[in-house]
Amino acid sequence: MTGQKEANHDKNAFRPIDLLADDRWNKITIPLITILLTVLVASLIMILIGRSPVVAMKSFLQGSGLWPKAVYSPSKGMLTDLFSFLGIFSPMLLASLGVVVAMKGGMFNIGISGQMLASGFLATVFIGYSDLPSTIARPLILLIGILVGGLFGALVGYLKYRFNIHEVVSTIMFNYIISYITGFFINGYYADMITRTSRAVRTAARLQISDLTLMGQKISFPLGLPIALIAVFLIQFFINRTVSGFEIRMIGSNRICAQYAGVKVGRGLVRAMAISGMLAGLAGVTMYLGYYNTIVPKELSSMGYDSIAVALLGNLSPSGCIFASFLITIFQKGAVYMSSSTGVAKEIASVITGILLLFSATGMYIKYVAQRTRAKQSVLPSSNGNNQNGNGGNRI
Amino acid sequence: MNVEAIIIDGMAFALPIFIMAIGGIYSEKSGITMLALEGLQGFGAFTGAIAVLILSPVIGENSPKLIYIAIFAAMIGGMIYSMLHAVLSIHFLANQVISGVVVNILATALTTFLTSLLNESLTGEASNKIQLGAAPRFTVPYLSSVPILGAFFKDVYIFVPFIAFFALIAWYVLYKTPYGLRLRACGENPYSVDAAGGNVNGIRFSAVMICGFLSGLAGIFFAYSTSANFSPSIYMGYGYLAIAALIFGNWKILPTLGVCVFFGLAKSGGYQLTLALGLSSKVSDLFLTIPYILTLLLLIFFSKHNHPPKAVGQPFD
Repeated sequence: MTGQKEANHDKNAFRPIDLLADDRWNKITIPLITILLTVLVASLIMILIGRSPVVAMKSFLQGSGLWPKAVYSPSKGMLTDLFSFLGIFSPMLLASLGVVVAMKGGMFNIGISGQMLASGFLATVFIGYSDLPSTIARPLILLIGILVGGLFGALVGYLKYRFNIHEVVSTIMFNYIISYITGFFINGYYADMITRTSRAVRTAARLQISDLTLMGQKISFPLGLPIALIAVFLIQFFINRTVSGFEIRMIGSNRICAQYAGVKVGRGLVRAMAISGMLAGLAGVTMYLGYYNTIVPKELSSMGYDSIAVALLGNLSPSGCIFASFLITIFQKGAVYMSSSTGVAKEIASVITGILLLFSATGMYIKYVAQRTRAKQSVLPSSNGNNQNGNGGNRI
Repeated sequence: MNVEAIIIDGMAFALPIFIMAIGGIYSEKSGITMLALEGLQGFGAFTGAIAVLILSPVIGENSPKLIYIAIFAAMIGGMIYSMLHAVLSIHFLANQVISGVVVNILATALTTFLTSLLNESLTGEASNKIQLGAAPRFTVPYLSSVPILGAFFKDVYIFVPFIAFFALIAWYVLYKTPYGLRLRACGENPYSVDAAGGNVNGIRFSAVMICGFLSGLAGIFFAYSTSANFSPSIYMGYGYLAIAALIFGNWKILPTLGVCVFFGLAKSGGYQLTLALGLSSKVSDLFLTIPYILTLLLLIFFSKHNHPPKAVGQPFD
């Protein structure tokens, strides 16, 4: 309260604390601090296990095609790596948009990986192995992705509203159920005898245009990339400029208030989760039938969790997710090359993502402390009563 | 069908979930949402496995002491790791659902990374497993000869007496001591506890630590019994099953025990059914989904009528 009063008081005077406390700035500064802290901790880990952090960070970039490697095999180059990077960046972006929409509605969709697997599996089985020409197969695959993911999401939203089942528990249960059931079918009916994964999807049905040549380098153009970028604009528009989007945000910030205002809460919850699931489904088909062409049985993609980190880092804004998923994909995608060039286990990528998530979770606190400090600074010259009010919650 | 095997395997699955669920009850009753059970048990199992890995050359690989050291290390490890969740949700006022998920993700990533790092430095191979033996089992002399129900006392893992001991203490402390009363009040109306002179955040912090302590025991039970190693496969979602169990149990210890036993018997019953019908091992994957599907179904029937602690998830400031 004091903060608001004082902010009006000297609106034009800029103080350094505003960088963190002011809502105009902290959308950028807090993620930046998060990233800096994460890189710092990651470098410390590298030093602790006796590796050079500079070499490690560089090889993350090299593995993602953002920095030239020393040697390339013939007809391959930085662009090959870059487009491969974009191939996994696109599903990550779509998945994180799914997390964002659910979170705007006050829900936490950690069933992204299960929804991805379900839609990827069904699209592979029904269309991926069929003889349909690519002009029909590719749209059908996208349709299956949207439908399957959307249905699972809607079901979770319905269970939440109708039966009061916490979405974290129900989505986790679905994750395991989907993983075992698809694993059973892949092992039993669709397994490749040699690799023990599902048989490869036909190239014509894959959501990527392979064997293109750009500046003498072989690249595969991921069709997920335009889809993901269009999705960013659509979701941005939906959340900020439509009635349904506004209702979802209202439910997310205060469900009871929304109900009093006449918003149909149940419909809003189901809608938010359905859209979240649709995006997860799209992520699933662009990953399992685009970046990869096969499914490893009984393995849930770590992208379900990574996308949560992306959404938090991107401040729950669709456009922020573009930058955040770019960053996290660098760690995830570059980890394999980093591992081979420095000999550090590639699981370090997940550790870095985890640390990033940890600092993102404290982002609200940084903002809170900054705003309190600012309030205190402006209150100091005035009466004591206000000061006590501002200090009421000081316990660290 | 082998009824004895159903009971023996079922209890070996139910009891670790039960002790974890008690931890969850402590945390949630004190007002801290606890979705981190999965990570806490995994991290506990990891520290227990590390203790075994380091100490087994010193005191001998077959020493019976090893298992007690593993239990102790796992519980302490789980407790220390749980402080992360406590600090995030109490001091940093983080969203407790997000904090719980962060703790889970970090546990999976850290333990997997550290395991391969340690294996590489000790043996030169970057394996993600730490081999453990299978824990000893024992049979209670007279009780086990009772027909059918005697199976509850047959081939019991060495962890079971620990679980019984800690469960009894946990029950007594939660329902019969002033501390337990205050803890439960913290989850319903923390301001009344504050007004009565209690330290709300202190009590919540201790409740989360108790939760980590008990989850560590569950983790080492899983690692040291059926799988006989520590590997990323410890993250099988059992922590979430424990959460589901405490929700059906309406945040009370005794009903939760009933739910856990039901889970265990359903799981081993399904498995014994595939054996009795002579189905192939591939089909057993489908039977592995039974506990998860049951969880969902039970939640549909019971979630409406239960009463979660009123102040759960709300930071006290």
